[in-house]
Amino acid sequence: MSEPIIKIENVHKRFGRIEALRGVTLNVNEGEVVVIVGPSGSGKSTLLRCINRLEEYEKGSIIVDGIDLNNPHNINAVRSEVGMVFQSFNLFPHLKVLDNLTLAQRVVRKREKAEALEIGMKLLDKVGIPEKAEAFPGQLSGGQQQRVAIARALAMNPKVMLFDEPTSALDPEMIKEVLDVMAQLAREGMTMIVVSHEMGFARAAADRIIFMDEGVIVEENTPQLFFTSPTQKRTQDFLSKVLQI
Amino acid sequence: MEKEKNDAPDRELSFVTGGEVNVRQDPWWWLVVVVIAVVLLLILLAPVPFQEIIVFAKDGILVTILVTVVSYFLMLILGLFGGLGRLSKNKLFFGISSLYVEIVRGIPLLVQLIGWYFASPVIIQKLGLWTGIEALIQYRANPIITAIMAITVCYGAYMSEIVRSGISSVPRGQMEAARSLGMNYFQAMRYVVLPQAFRVILPPMGNEFIALLKDSSLVSVVAVADLTRRGREFMAAHFNPIETWLMIALLYLIMTLIAARVVSYIEKRARYDR
Ligand SMILES: Nc1ncnc2c1ncn2[C@@H]1O[C@H](COP(=O)(O)OP(=O)(O)OP(=O)(O)O)[C@@H](O)[C@H]1O
Ligand SMILES: [Mg+2]
Repeated sequence: MSEPIIKIENVHKRFGRIEALRGVTLNVNEGEVVVIVGPSGSGKSTLLRCINRLEEYEKGSIIVDGIDLNNPHNINAVRSEVGMVFQSFNLFPHLKVLDNLTLAQRVVRKREKAEALEIGMKLLDKVGIPEKAEAFPGQLSGGQQQRVAIARALAMNPKVMLFDEPTSALDPEMIKEVLDVMAQLAREGMTMIVVSHEMGFARAAADRIIFMDEGVIVEENTPQLFFTSPTQKRTQDFLSKVLQI
Repeated sequence: MEKEKNDAPDRELSFVTGGEVNVRQDPWWWLVVVVIAVVLLLILLAPVPFQEIIVFAKDGILVTILVTVVSYFLMLILGLFGGLGRLSKNKLFFGISSLYVEIVRGIPLLVQLIGWYFASPVIIQKLGLWTGIEALIQYRANPIITAIMAITVCYGAYMSEIVRSGISSVPRGQMEAARSLGMNYFQAMRYVVLPQAFRVILPPMGNEFIALLKDSSLVSVVAVADLTRRGREFMAAHFNPIETWLMIALLYLIMTLIAARVVSYIEKRARYDR
């Protein structure tokens, strides 16, 4: 593959005294699915949030699809290329599901109402809940809300999708419906970075797994090798903990 | 937003149609009816002085309403900017709005009214002398405009705090989700955060209207011929303090009771529109 679509180089980020990222370098190719794992507080969310600059970083550089994030004028341009899915869904509770999907299309992409509605309905179909178009987010189950959130991000035609623990807030019986949508996206060739503790998903859908600890990337590998023969002591400890469960 | 209005009628719970008020849904309307009936009864039983008072004070009622409504809308706008300033990361906006809120809230409204009324023309005239602009030298205070300005500045400070707390009540994730979709700060505020904050702000906003309506009686000390001042004038001419202030009080009561009903009606609608 040619140029990586995401180029992260030596990124540092601190919150006061806490160093959340201590020099992260990572390239992601177009169509690649990267799953990030690691213990709590290791900087996974912070890294994702830096990629669409919800968080500013002090040092290093991030280039997304040729757009340099160090230039603040590019922030909105990058954000509309990068879709983000949050652990807590963050749907707009005052808008109906379909309006959740059309708002940014109209305001940011300046699409006509009819076009935005059509795209919105198509995506609701894709995530499997077209019948909820007229409902309010508060009337949906967690799994349905997260699928709407994925559809909302997709409506902007992003080149990259970021997922920050998309299933951690869900009841066990709803996790699968969300992971299925994500696996489908992965098959269609979407570039994805996923922070998740779902090792089953990582094994099945990831092209590469990254293990983070204390603000650095400790190890990265293909799923097979990552799970069967981790090289670093910290990775082995982490895996023995999570795989036990 | 226009969109929200359009889909209100097909919402299951929106029992209110066409905007008419329904006494059965809100029994407190009976209190309004009773107070109005009392006023009519007084007029009927003793046209002198009760009818005379109303005839004499009716332009005062209009002035009271005018001052209240105009200051209210101006202070809403000021409060919106004050509230956004209080939440701004920009140190200048934050500093200015915080200073404004803290200072203005610490000074009684009556003092502010009197201060604006007597001091602002002198300042403007001095400014005129200093710059040589004739129009400023000739400036005379317009009582109503000065009063509206003073009330707006004072209530804008309280409103700023209401707006600030309303916006803070919207989870941070809402702004982040909007921004992550590519909206800029103002778009995210306008379409995502403020509509949600509005539902929280609505009840205190209604209370502010009623408080402002009552506080508007203070403008009577700075030469505005509002209902209170007209009452004082009537009493001075006829020497019947009991009847005069009974009637004036009842007239205020009618206005505040109606305002309270309208406020609760709007709150209900906003709730069910969800
Ligand atoms: N807004 C913030 N203010 C202060 N410290 C923060 C902030 N956000 C994150 N941190 C700190 O930065 C470090 C990295 O946090 P981050 O959320 O990136 O971890 P994580 O790997 O996503 O953890 P988790 O699995 O719990 O979500 C932590 O020590 C956290 O306490
Ligand atoms: Mg996290």
